Amino acid sequence: MSAVTLAAAADPSVRLTPQARILAAIIAIAFVGMILELIRRHQLQERFSIVWFLAGLGMLAGAMFPGLLELAANIMGVRDTNVALFSIVLLLLLGLALNFSVIISRQAEQITRLAQESALERTREEKAAPGAQPETAEEPDET
Amino acid sequence: MRTLVFIPAWNEEDSVVGVIDDVRRSIPGSDILVVDDGSRDATTVRARQAGAMVAVLPFNQGLGAALQTGYLYAFREGYDYCAHLDSDGQHPPAEVARLLDEVRSGRADLAIGSRYVDPDSAEEDDYTPTFLRRVGSGVFRFFLTLATRQRFTDTTSGMRAANRRVMALFSERYSPDFAEIESLQRAVRQGLTVEELPVRMLPRAEGTSFLTPVKSTFFIFKSLIVLLVGRFRPRSAEYLD
Repeated sequence: MSAVTLAAAADPSVRLTPQARILAAIIAIAFVGMILELIRRHQLQERFSIVWFLAGLGMLAGAMFPGLLELAANIMGVRDTNVALFSIVLLLLLGLALNFSVIISRQAEQITRLAQESALERTREEKAAPGAQPETAEEPDET
Repeated sequence: MRTLVFIPAWNEEDSVVGVIDDVRRSIPGSDILVVDDGSRDATTVRARQAGAMVAVLPFNQGLGAALQTGYLYAFREGYDYCAHLDSDGQHPPAEVARLLDEVRSGRADLAIGSRYVDPDSAEEDDYTPTFLRRVGSGVFRFFLTLATRQRFTDTTSGMRAANRRVMALFSERYSPDFAEIESLQRAVRQGLTVEELPVRMLPRAEGTSFLTPVKSTFFIFKSLIVLLVGRFRPRSAEYLD
């Protein structure tokens, strides 16, 4: 075994530097503040904010207690704490993106049904009162 | 016995009137509903002038959503049977009448017009699929047969007749894009009798196929997912009226 491998084995983890921790803490606090501001301005609904709060608080916790990250790195079998951090963040983002796709799918279905209901409602109205609909309308204006 | 014939239409102002007139001649006594899938032309106006009911979707949402609108209307308004055909003049309404007979006689819950079942009967001006189309159809046929254990030849046919069981099933849920395949799989899985009848189809009167190569690839990919997942979906409650 080479000296490098031995040294790496002796020191099992690469820790976060103090600068990185301070920067992460600042970003996390700013992030949580931004979420609160978005909710205040009604640009983000509360029910969608929970995951983002958790993400922000997780970021803050990781910055304040580096032991947590090292523990996570150990559990994952990753020697470099930075790599563990990136992996966790990446997985979280993947989960969030998937969550949004699910929400979009559901809303797309709801929008379709809404459009169908409105179309059928108008059809029924016209059938009930055919006179209300001008027979020789000009080019369609609603489309 | 009330019958609704619905025609999904998207920017078909040139052909929709002809189709409506044909339907009225070939399927007398039926109500005709044109589902305008957010057309930007005069489809709605022309259809109304031709005396059809029109359901106008406020924006374009794809063939599946338009078809579901028709099924939904037929189901809610208490029609006993419904049928649909394309608005581009490819589907002779006389053939649709035969599909309706099949359903009315109780031989099938859902009858599908197939342009491939009996190729020998093809006449001069009949529909001839392109090579790519034939290959694609072959792939679909294989997977759908695998998924349903029933032989289907024309998996993407837009010419169908149905009874109330099918209306209930399709109006509850129908894939928003052009997902004829999923609907077939669901109907078979639900224990409904689905039958294919050979029909004549004509070349397109107006407009061009919406299937570009990219869209076709996407369509095939999506359909395969649908077929795979559909195998593991729970069956819905009984659809009886």
